[in-house]
Amino acid sequence: MEKWGSDQKAENSTRTEAMRVLTSIFLFFGPFLAANTLPSEKRKNGPLIQEALAPVQVYLQESSAVFYDNETYKNFIYGTVVSADGLILTKASELDQVSDYVVRIGTKKYRDVKVLATDTQWDVSLVAVDAEGLKPVDLKGESEVELGTWVVANGASERRFRRPRPGIVSAKRREIPGGTPAVLGIRFKMEDQKLLVLEVTKDSGAQKAGVKKGDLITSVDTMTIESEQSLVEYLRNKAPGDELKIGIEREGKTLELTVALVARHELYGGPQNRNDQMSGEFSARRTSFPMVLQHEVMLSARSVGGPLFTLEGKFLGMNIAAANRVESYAIPVENLSELFQRLKDKASIK
Amino acid sequence: MCGFTIPGWAGDDLSFNDQEVPTSLDDFRQIQKTLQSHLERARAATVCLKLENGSGSGVIVSAEGLILTAAHVTGGVGKEMTVIMEDGTQYRGVSLGLQSETDAAMFQIIDDGPFPFVSYDQEDTTKLGDWLFALGHSGGFDQSRGINVRVGRLVRDAESTIQSDCMLIGGDSGGPLFNMNGEVVGIHSRVGGSKEESMHVPLREFQRNWEQLLGEEFIGEGPFAQKGVPGTGFLGVLVEPDSDHGLKVIEVWENSVAQQAGILVGDHLIELAGEKLTAELFREEMRRRCAGDVIELQWKSGDQIKKQKIQLGQRP
Repeated sequence: MEKWGSDQKAENSTRTEAMRVLTSIFLFFGPFLAANTLPSEKRKNGPLIQEALAPVQVYLQESSAVFYDNETYKNFIYGTVVSADGLILTKASELDQVSDYVVRIGTKKYRDVKVLATDTQWDVSLVAVDAEGLKPVDLKGESEVELGTWVVANGASERRFRRPRPGIVSAKRREIPGGTPAVLGIRFKMEDQKLLVLEVTKDSGAQKAGVKKGDLITSVDTMTIESEQSLVEYLRNKAPGDELKIGIEREGKTLELTVALVARHELYGGPQNRNDQMSGEFSARRTSFPMVLQHEVMLSARSVGGPLFTLEGKFLGMNIAAANRVESYAIPVENLSELFQRLKDKASIK
Repeated sequence: MCGFTIPGWAGDDLSFNDQEVPTSLDDFRQIQKTLQSHLERARAATVCLKLENGSGSGVIVSAEGLILTAAHVTGGVGKEMTVIMEDGTQYRGVSLGLQSETDAAMFQIIDDGPFPFVSYDQEDTTKLGDWLFALGHSGGFDQSRGINVRVGRLVRDAESTIQSDCMLIGGDSGGPLFNMNGEVVGIHSRVGGSKEESMHVPLREFQRNWEQLLGEEFIGEGPFAQKGVPGTGFLGVLVEPDSDHGLKVIEVWENSVAQQAGILVGDHLIELAGEKLTAELFREEMRRRCAGDVIELQWKSGDQIKKQKIQLGQRP
């Protein structure tokens, strides 16, 4: 009994000691936090700044499409409304990741969504919903703005409300050369002037297209395979999302399969550099664009595809990649306008 | 305020800094106009510091080419690096002192100036909530992209670190954070857990140690730079005294820095840092030198006198 009592006393005194330490830490940090830290709502991406951007929010609200995954109910990509009757442009390689989705424009939901055409060079798909009276972006504009100009894009989305997120045009307009290694997703060796498939990686383009272990690859697009090196060289000029026609011999029969290339890091993980590791969820396809406008609105792989506006609501382009922690890319309106025309032609829309 | 001396100055309406948050688009426009009025000058003074593996950024603060950067970029005193301007022009430079506890460092271009430079916030006037912009060679030098510009606010102010919500990435380290007077207020140091947490060394930390930094002192015990360990520097030669001819090279290690510099068996080492070499001086210097240190060596190869700066390797 006595022993129990003394233990309890010891515990009490320790607790008092701990409280004293805590109190002193609190006193030390308390006023410091209050005086020397800007509350998060006043920061660049905070809600009070968003409120001040209300006049630009109107444009995002009208001309953004939000794609929701029907399984997770999460939005996985944005789109840019380009016609009053429901034509939308979006990022093709992200759209491909989900098969069952709905689209929201403004407060309205559209269940019937059709992919009409895709351009792999720009990684853009033309999509249609059955709508009328939408407010499309102005594709006749121009994107030449000075470095440091404010731009606004979709930061996050509520069901009925598109939240504006600010940033500035942060670097020179330019071409982004290829750079993300693209792979078929097979292991192979050369045998009698043909490539013998030794292994097909799970979830790769090769697997999805039906390439099997033991297949003999005889050609890629119009090229006859001469060496392992010739295929490697050929792939070097390709980007993730590109499709290759693969000629195959299987059990004496010949067949042709269409295989979509995948970014190497998506399939095999690394090698990612340190800057990639600190960039969160960046776009798998973020290189090989003929022209981009670079800005620093904080985007992720899930928030590209939507429109980019100036403070005046002038449409500058469509966000196409969250390249890394500090760089976001948009397809300039001039290029997007041409691309839209090409996609309409491809889909035979007047 | 020294703003009126800057060409292209947009007027001294910085009232957005006195607002809790912008309340109208015009407030944003004023921020933009002010930022843009400083950009040309700020970009001209922002440089990429290229090391053997990797790169950082820095900013020129005098016509003679004094650069402020981060201690973890220079990594030591007396290190040679290439300075790249936004247009691709290259200069040679060498690191001066550093403060290893706050991440402040200085660097000097050794080629002739004058160089474009910016002023810094000497009076420490920048306060919480002020609008700022960050420049840097994010991810390394990229001529087609140029310098990356980001905007944000001062979100935390502590004695030896200031925090902004200008987003940073590797390669930006050592680059400048500007206030809306176009003055440098901080040097990019590191990032926090979220994309919007960027830490910078405040200019007051540079000013506090200005003379020691200029005087090539290595201040503090880290963590942003580690002092070299004396005796770890390795040239890769075995020498013997050869009367008045200097030190005769009798062996050169495979892949050593001596071999890379072209030193051959039979050559004579004559001078180290301008001093005539004796066996004693050589032994003493090598005992003192650390891996990564740069020595200036003069040697005789056949009839030719050669002189070269050599960065010491790691003693095996």
